[in-house]
Amino acid sequence: MLRLRFFTAFSVAVLAIVALFTAQGRGQTTAPSRRLLSEFAPPAIQRGISPDLSHAPGTPETRRRQSIQAVSGVRDRIGASGTRYRPGRVIVKFRDGVSAPTRVSALSVVPGRATISPRAATQDFDVVEIDQAADPEAVARAFRGRPDVEYAQAAYRVHAEFVPNDHFYSTQWNLPAINMEAAWDIQPAAGSDITVAVLDSGVAYKAAELQFHAGAFTLDSEGNVGPPGSGGTAYPALGDMSLKFVAATELAPLSRFVSPHDFIWNDDMPLDLSGHGTHVSGTIGQLTNNAANGLGDVANGGGTAGVAFNVKLMPVKVISSEWDDIFGSPNEGTDDVVALGIRWAADHGAQILNMSIGQEGPANCATNPNQDGCAPAIEAAIKYAVGKGCFVAVAGGNSFDTGNHTEVLAEIASRVPGAVSVAAVNKNKEHAPYSTTGSYIELAAPGGEFGIFGGPGGVLQQTLDFDLIETFQDSPSQFGRPHFDMLRYFYVIGTSMATPHVSGLAAMLMQQGITNPAAIEAALERFATDLGPAGRDQTFGFGLVDARATLRGLGLAK
Amino acid sequence: MRIRIISVLLSAVAVAAPASAQAPRPPVRRDDPAISLRPFFLATGQSFSAHKTFETVFGKSVQPFWGGGLNVAFRNGFYVDVTASRFKKTGQRAFFFDGQGYGLGIPLTVTVTPLEVTAGQRVQIASSVFLYTGFGVGSYRYQETSQSDDEPFEKRHVGYLVAAGAEFRVSRWVGVSGDAQYTYVSGIIGTGGVSKEAGENKLGGIAGRFRVIVGR
Repeated sequence: MLRLRFFTAFSVAVLAIVALFTAQGRGQTTAPSRRLLSEFAPPAIQRGISPDLSHAPGTPETRRRQSIQAVSGVRDRIGASGTRYRPGRVIVKFRDGVSAPTRVSALSVVPGRATISPRAATQDFDVVEIDQAADPEAVARAFRGRPDVEYAQAAYRVHAEFVPNDHFYSTQWNLPAINMEAAWDIQPAAGSDITVAVLDSGVAYKAAELQFHAGAFTLDSEGNVGPPGSGGTAYPALGDMSLKFVAATELAPLSRFVSPHDFIWNDDMPLDLSGHGTHVSGTIGQLTNNAANGLGDVANGGGTAGVAFNVKLMPVKVISSEWDDIFGSPNEGTDDVVALGIRWAADHGAQILNMSIGQEGPANCATNPNQDGCAPAIEAAIKYAVGKGCFVAVAGGNSFDTGNHTEVLAEIASRVPGAVSVAAVNKNKEHAPYSTTGSYIELAAPGGEFGIFGGPGGVLQQTLDFDLIETFQDSPSQFGRPHFDMLRYFYVIGTSMATPHVSGLAAMLMQQGITNPAAIEAALERFATDLGPAGRDQTFGFGLVDARATLRGLGLAK
Repeated sequence: MRIRIISVLLSAVAVAAPASAQAPRPPVRRDDPAISLRPFFLATGQSFSAHKTFETVFGKSVQPFWGGGLNVAFRNGFYVDVTASRFKKTGQRAFFFDGQGYGLGIPLTVTVTPLEVTAGQRVQIASSVFLYTGFGVGSYRYQETSQSDDEPFEKRHVGYLVAAGAEFRVSRWVGVSGDAQYTYVSGIIGTGGVSKEAGENKLGGIAGRFRVIVGR
């Protein structure tokens, strides 16, 4: 009897410890709440092309996705600059030569608790953990007042620049629109020696089975999501779950992926929990011309094509998806995480960095980078990457019809020779109605538009089945576990979709021996097809990229 | 008008004796013919005026021409050369950025075919050594083809040249000559392509020419 009681007590204690650890929120230094069960999963289920049209800019579904990202775990706040940031954290870059004791003493500017997190090997800035209630922008301003601080900023949230739409596939208008067929004639190798890093939500690049824990959350009538008990419709906790992941058949094989890293979960398995990064990767390098060679998505006749279909891909996960947030990932897509991802890619052999991500902020970061809403940590990282020979393509933003806010990362790219900001055009090579305009726009590429074009006006690629991932779009009674083992072809629109066209083309140009990032930018701009007013303009930049003209260059006299 | 000017210049060259020609010189041998028709083979290394353009496309701006022609030498020292030569080479398409050319590895074949007429004066300064100088006019055909379905680019334009050098008689029937020739050819390059980006619009340049001349 005593033995039974002891056993019962021991079991309860063990369960309590397990429950305590699995319930820990992000931001704590304990192990993440996901666990690899197996590096094997059954073959992907191919569901063909989706006819769903439920995703578009400004829809309740989109707001809901963004809200989940904003609220789950630590709740994001809006700073004085209007930019969302993660509370409890400030990014500080001390000037070179500032000693560790001086850095610690500098924490005295912070009211309340302040500790410096350990640095990663490639990190040239410090992340200062502060009280959740403290104002990181105010703390950053206090740091900036010190002469030994080069820059200081809040950890602003970076998000994906796309709005997915799952519509039926008819044609990939986007590739002929930039003259890809002729470009493949010029360069059949399609970037085989080049590595493109996809700094995104991860990529469905390998099979695995992982265990996660999903807590409860609430959803109000405005689509805002909060922690349990904060009002609105309550969504139940899903508890522990084992989830299978499959590799996107059209991105295979696994050997194609180099140096993957996950800065959201702090490991080397950047699996995609949203489908965004997988879709973006498809435009860069989807297997092509594989209808009859037994490779890729045989069930769908080879699926879709990609721009530089032989490149190596480096998945670098730097933005958290809704499910990453629900599962309580230790990190989110903030500036420090993105900066680390950029440096990782540059240090691990990537030659092209695709950043289909964005962040809105002040318009004058060029003249005053050390102000609230700017991203000096990412700017330094981009310059570091370009300095190591990387070409960087950044999405120009999707806010034209919702206020046309300045995209901070795209604005940075416009000031760095070797990095470009990319706007989107529709099927008619006209301005896509969401594509942000501004003096920092440098190039345009197909991003698509639904509107008068319907679903086929988007950019089609294979990715995870959004319908089976975004179960949080359903009512609480239908809310259930996501599925990351089903693939489907989705039309998606956004500058996120435009940017990988430029990255793929840059990879092909680099394949032809152009290694200077600034020269790559110059070539892309020089050979772009001018759209809109003559010369560079704020809508299309230098114009729509032209793959054939860029790869072909000039003759001696013609 | 331009042709008339050239004709006048050539006539002047033909009539005027160069300074060296006014100095005492070896007597003309009685068995020299009044007119010698002397075919020659030609090898040229030309440093193109559009050096950035040619460096970008071909890797270097000095390129060879091969050809031949006929030298008509008069007993009084006047001579006329008719020369046909050709430069043909495959380089690569390219673009220009920040003062530097970047090759793209796409094959580009350029053919330059000059047809030149030069008139001038030869002066014998030793028993087997002649100095000569001359002016000329030429027709320069430029052709550019590359890997694509595009129509080949072809253009022809008149150019001008001046040359000076020395001829050495190796034997009674064979001579060799080396000279420097400057060619000025506008109107072919510079309106498009790498040459326009580089701001270079002259196809000619300075050439070192070596000839093997057959005849007395």
